[in-house]
Amino acid sequence: MSIHAPRRVLITGVSNPLAAEVARRIAPQVPYLFGCDVADPVSAIEEMDFVHADTRHAVIGKLVRQLRIDTVVHMAVTVDSAKEDRADHETNVIGTMNMLVGCSGPTSPVRRLVVKSSQAVYGAGPGDPSFFSEDMAGPERQGSFVTRDLLEMEQLVNEFAIRNPDCQVTLLRLGFRVTSDTTLARYLSLALVPTFAGFDPRLQLLHEDDAVEAIVRSAMGAQAGAFNVAAGGVVLLSQAIAIMGGRAAPILPPYGQWLARLGLRAMTGIDLPGHVAGVLAYGSVVDCSKLADVFGWTPVYSTRGVMDALARGKNEELVEAPSPPQEYELQVYLQRRRRAERDGHRASAR
Amino acid sequence: MKSINPVLPAPERSAESTGIYTAPAGERRRRSRKAEIVKAPPSTGFRLPKPVRRLQRNAPIYAMQGLAELSTRLRQLTGREVIDLSRVMDFVQFAYKQRELARRGANYAVDDFGFDPEWTESFLSVFNVLYRDYWRVETTGIENVPATGRALLVSNHGGVLPWDGTMIKTAVFAEHPSPRHVRALVASLFMGMPVLSWFLRRTGQTLGHPDDTRRLLERDELVLVFPEGVKGTGKPFKDRYRLRRFGRGGFVATAIRAGAPIIPISVVGSEEIYPMIADLAPLAKMFGLPYFPITPLWPWLGPLGMIPLPSKWRIQFHAPIHVEVHPPEAADDQNLVMALADQVRDTIQLGIYDNLKLRRGIFV
Repeated sequence: MSIHAPRRVLITGVSNPLAAEVARRIAPQVPYLFGCDVADPVSAIEEMDFVHADTRHAVIGKLVRQLRIDTVVHMAVTVDSAKEDRADHETNVIGTMNMLVGCSGPTSPVRRLVVKSSQAVYGAGPGDPSFFSEDMAGPERQGSFVTRDLLEMEQLVNEFAIRNPDCQVTLLRLGFRVTSDTTLARYLSLALVPTFAGFDPRLQLLHEDDAVEAIVRSAMGAQAGAFNVAAGGVVLLSQAIAIMGGRAAPILPPYGQWLARLGLRAMTGIDLPGHVAGVLAYGSVVDCSKLADVFGWTPVYSTRGVMDALARGKNEELVEAPSPPQEYELQVYLQRRRRAERDGHRASAR
Repeated sequence: MKSINPVLPAPERSAESTGIYTAPAGERRRRSRKAEIVKAPPSTGFRLPKPVRRLQRNAPIYAMQGLAELSTRLRQLTGREVIDLSRVMDFVQFAYKQRELARRGANYAVDDFGFDPEWTESFLSVFNVLYRDYWRVETTGIENVPATGRALLVSNHGGVLPWDGTMIKTAVFAEHPSPRHVRALVASLFMGMPVLSWFLRRTGQTLGHPDDTRRLLERDELVLVFPEGVKGTGKPFKDRYRLRRFGRGGFVATAIRAGAPIIPISVVGSEEIYPMIADLAPLAKMFGLPYFPITPLWPWLGPLGMIPLPSKWRIQFHAPIHVEVHPPEAADDQNLVMALADQVRDTIQLGIYDNLKLRRGIFV
């Protein structure tokens, strides 16, 4: 267990806004930063080398070895998904498996691995305890396909951690986030919010800034294990709706959630993921005391604070504005030029 | 400070004031900050004429005055209290409290379990009427409940619906010198039911899970547990006041681990509120319920059959059993745990017999 400072960091799934912000935060702290994704990033990051690579293919292993990556931040994990889509399973389970295969083995240079997971791994049901601690996720919890996929993914990560004792593995179960692009935020922002009749569950959220902070801390630090990351305190669903200035309409049938989801889609056009539907009926709250003990840090925003920030519209997007393709090309070109110039200077100095 | 004020004309302030000075007088009054606060939001739509609105506003007061008049007249006429105004006031208070709570909007906080103390206390005036006047509960040994710190309350469970939990909560809040909220543990079955799950959580109940119990006790709360569970509430009338099995003694293990004393409670009267003469098990299975009761009134009278009978209740809080003297490791000693569980069970059973003897009749 050597405490090493990360030198060559690879971030997978870097094109999603959360990962882009993580990259932005890590970039000044490490000498070499690489990012990979299938999609183009919305805006280029000066110090990061972007590689078009799909975690679902074996190229990721070659990439890791060729670039001598010592720290991998795996964020190519889809959580906010409503349809039982083959692609999500491929990304979450097969993608992670490929990535882990690429990082494993005695010749692997990887010493640190941070994997983004979600609170969704616990599912939500009427018989669940009021707080989930880290050891409560397990195969006995049946839930939506996202829950099942995340469980399978975490299992692969745990196996990897056992087989590769040289590599420190951190699994972050992030709470539900409410940025403008998540389903939960769009649902709460409705003027008339259809809720499950007779249910008013507790909601626990996580602010985007805190999510980024947690990932950066675990990438730069040396804490191994699974951690719940979510804001302190809870708000009731009715309270959250009131904060957003909407009105709750208890019209969704409490039994048969698929029917309620279908109705919600017909009424509002919001495709509610199965695990979010569970949360909106029974609630899901995690215990973050392990995070506080090991990291010595807890999320800055409380759940109430996250809701207030969302209501004020202050929870703005992390990446400025999605720039058009030309803009991206231009940024990449300028970056390449600057690098070439810098390297040229170095070569002449030598 | 006052001498400094005129010397400090802040640039943006002066700009604002010049802006106001140029505006006409009426405009200025409308724009000035004070006027904005005082001014009510403009009314939209139809408004009733002023005298009608005044009458509407004063209607509850007139109603109370009329009722008071009627009450005095009836007292003079019959010589006894026919309409008890203090009871009426309880309900009026409840209605006003509910309105006040509705005005909070989103400006309230619940604890991590979803407990809203203010909201819960608003219901206590109604439960108090049930406690004092309907079931005429006599509570003894309330001094055994600690004013501060954790404790695990263990009670027998009876009656088809868990009114005994409500009455124990009311007893501790109404009778204890330092009122405390009791947090009861509920079967997961009820947590999945619409309305009930929401009401139970908001009034401080949580799931009967060892992890939840531990967390509540660690927060120095009073936790109420019914180890018999639905086997207790669903027993036939002929088996009344015969305790069922106390689970596997899990509550004792949790109390030892949390270092909380156990306070046994004997409740008498709860078994007669819905005398269950039969249980339609197939129907219960169909609805996913633990039992489907048949009582002399239910389901024959429909919703009226859900009104509990006015039996006479007694609640006795026994002296605490100090299980916290054992080290936390003792919780794994199944012998000790079962012995302590039996001790609690015997205390409750004997307490039930004592209180049944003290009660003159079922309804008096």
